[in-house]
Amino acid sequence: MNKTWIVTSETYLRQTKSWSFLMLILMPFLFIGLTFGISYVATPSKDKSDIAVISQDHSLRQSFLDDADVATTTKYKTVKAAQQATTKSDINGYLVLKVVNHQQVSAVFHGPNEIDSGDQAKIQRFLSTVQTQMNVQDAKLTTSQTKALARQPEFKQQLQQKTASNKAAKTISFYILVFFVYLILTTYSSITAQEIAAEKGTKIMEVIFSSTTPRKYFNGKVYGVLLMIVTQLLVYLLGGSLVVQLAQHSKMTQQLWQQNAPVIGKVLHNLLSINLIFALAAVLLYTVVSAFCGALVTRVEDAGKASQPVIYLNLLTFVMAMAFQGSPTSGIVKIFSYVPFFSSYLMPLRLINNTATMPAALISLAILLATVVGSMWYIGKIYGGLMLQTDELGFWGNLKRGLSLK
Amino acid sequence: MLSVAHISKTFGTVHALNDVSFDVHDGEIMGLIGQNGAGKSTTFHSILNFLKFDGQITWNGQALSADDYNKIGYLPEERSLMSKLTITQQIVYLARLKNQPAKVTKPKIADWMARFAVKGQPTDKINKLSKGNQQKVQLICTMIHEPQLIILDEPFSGLDPVNADLLKQAIVAAKQRGAAIIFSSHDMSNVEEICDTLVMLRNGEVVLHGTVDDVRNQFGRTRLFLTTDWSDEQLAALPGVDQVKALGPNHYRLQLSDANAGPAIFDTVTQGHYIQEFSQQPPTLDEIFRTEAGGATHE
Repeated sequence: MNKTWIVTSETYLRQTKSWSFLMLILMPFLFIGLTFGISYVATPSKDKSDIAVISQDHSLRQSFLDDADVATTTKYKTVKAAQQATTKSDINGYLVLKVVNHQQVSAVFHGPNEIDSGDQAKIQRFLSTVQTQMNVQDAKLTTSQTKALARQPEFKQQLQQKTASNKAAKTISFYILVFFVYLILTTYSSITAQEIAAEKGTKIMEVIFSSTTPRKYFNGKVYGVLLMIVTQLLVYLLGGSLVVQLAQHSKMTQQLWQQNAPVIGKVLHNLLSINLIFALAAVLLYTVVSAFCGALVTRVEDAGKASQPVIYLNLLTFVMAMAFQGSPTSGIVKIFSYVPFFSSYLMPLRLINNTATMPAALISLAILLATVVGSMWYIGKIYGGLMLQTDELGFWGNLKRGLSLK
Repeated sequence: MLSVAHISKTFGTVHALNDVSFDVHDGEIMGLIGQNGAGKSTTFHSILNFLKFDGQITWNGQALSADDYNKIGYLPEERSLMSKLTITQQIVYLARLKNQPAKVTKPKIADWMARFAVKGQPTDKINKLSKGNQQKVQLICTMIHEPQLIILDEPFSGLDPVNADLLKQAIVAAKQRGAAIIFSSHDMSNVEEICDTLVMLRNGEVVLHGTVDDVRNQFGRTRLFLTTDWSDEQLAALPGVDQVKALGPNHYRLQLSDANAGPAIFDTVTQGHYIQEFSQQPPTLDEIFRTEAGGATHE
């Protein structure tokens, strides 16, 4: 049996079975579900939003039902029946259409509440069209005069290619990426540092190190945390696909989706790219450093303090990314986009804004991965000494004593 | 067989171990005794490769390999378990790290819990157990994979006499199946009762080493237990008697300056008649510990 794998599976299973991990995974879906649920409850049902249309002029009534694009019901044909239905709240109200003196079309809405402004505009548009037709007929115009009156002005927009949607996509991608990376780094740094510090505080490490080497144990811990985040990402990808399917086909969001399809497509492209590898590598690096911080604490009670240095570092990089979001071409952004810890935020920022080339991104990623591997190797080497050093000597004292043991 | 040869370890300017050597054979129990800070835990940590040290430690003539560590059962001085796990999860996890699969470990758990009289179910969380029961679960974790080398750092500390007896039975059973066992203890009666050999450390150096009887006999049979109607003044006046202590009515313990004085004292006190008790013994381990373990300087 591979002992690294035993530690990996133990770490992974113990953490993923916890309620906190389950809540961490489910929270975005609960949030989306809640939003949809509230919208659904808050939106009146279709039947209730219908209005009845009453008119002595059958052709006018039929024309309204066919052309007005207002939610209507044909169930009620008399004022009395429509009145009763309105009183019982079966319908929102009823519209009485009339043509007065064969010259003027009129519509009166009867109902408990004012009619929706969108529907008001549609009714107004329908009435204007009918009135214009009646006016033309009354004026007895020639065909050419009628055509002349029907002539409409022309208004067109010629926009630069997809500029607007590109800008929105960049902004949305940046915010999603930065907040996602920040939250995930904070969460996993905290989990790792506290778990390691708690283990060290309980002194069980002597038993474990009598069975396997500190390096194997350390690697197993890091891989366990990495598996957790991969699980979280997979759940988000699968859940995200499901949400996308729902959004594309749900009547509530279909229109919104179609209108914003180009932006959504670009955002997904920005997220599901090399930026995701930057995020994963960042989690690995922060996990390794968090484990190191956890190993420097000597008491279980101090487990909470263990993650603080990493969390502050993450906060610093996050603030820097936010500060420079509007200036991705800045020299500072360029330099720090190659510096591990900072590169996980700043290189994706440059990539989203097309201010970095793919080779530049690959170089930054290579530096980041080399730092991950190097720090794993070095911390794995000194891990045993750090974990077995249990005297309270302060940060530097603990580090010095730990280094002297092995 | 475990062989520790000439190991030394310094922490800064402190010599924690200085040229320590001993062997522990298969089927042998060795007691490692000494005051706090004498170097017992450092010796264990060196065997377990927790520390860099000078010297050589071998198992059956070879340096300890990764596989050899699967054959070691170790109980550290400070008891600790993963409090959120159940008894079964904890035992199975630590046994898996010793290369014993879960399917082998699980069927053994109930038997081991009965052997150590653990109060609780295998599904109980560790943090729900009493301190004593947690200690017994940790002992099970140390021994359930039937290790060939068992290292127990102060295993009896915190155990009541009944549970200490259960532990002694488990240690003796491990010896009978051929395991080499080292344990440290401050309670010399436990060492005297079950150890075949002992090593006493003082300031990181071996000051006594051998079988329990040999070590005791090194100090001579200078303790004489006597039941007589002689008064303590009369006894103290006998040649070769340094000290007389009354243990009860007509019952004394004499400290002799020379073990060879015994036969003459016997003749004088008995005058050829029967007496209830005349027993000349070497000092107990406890007495030896009190005189030898501290030495001139203390850590």
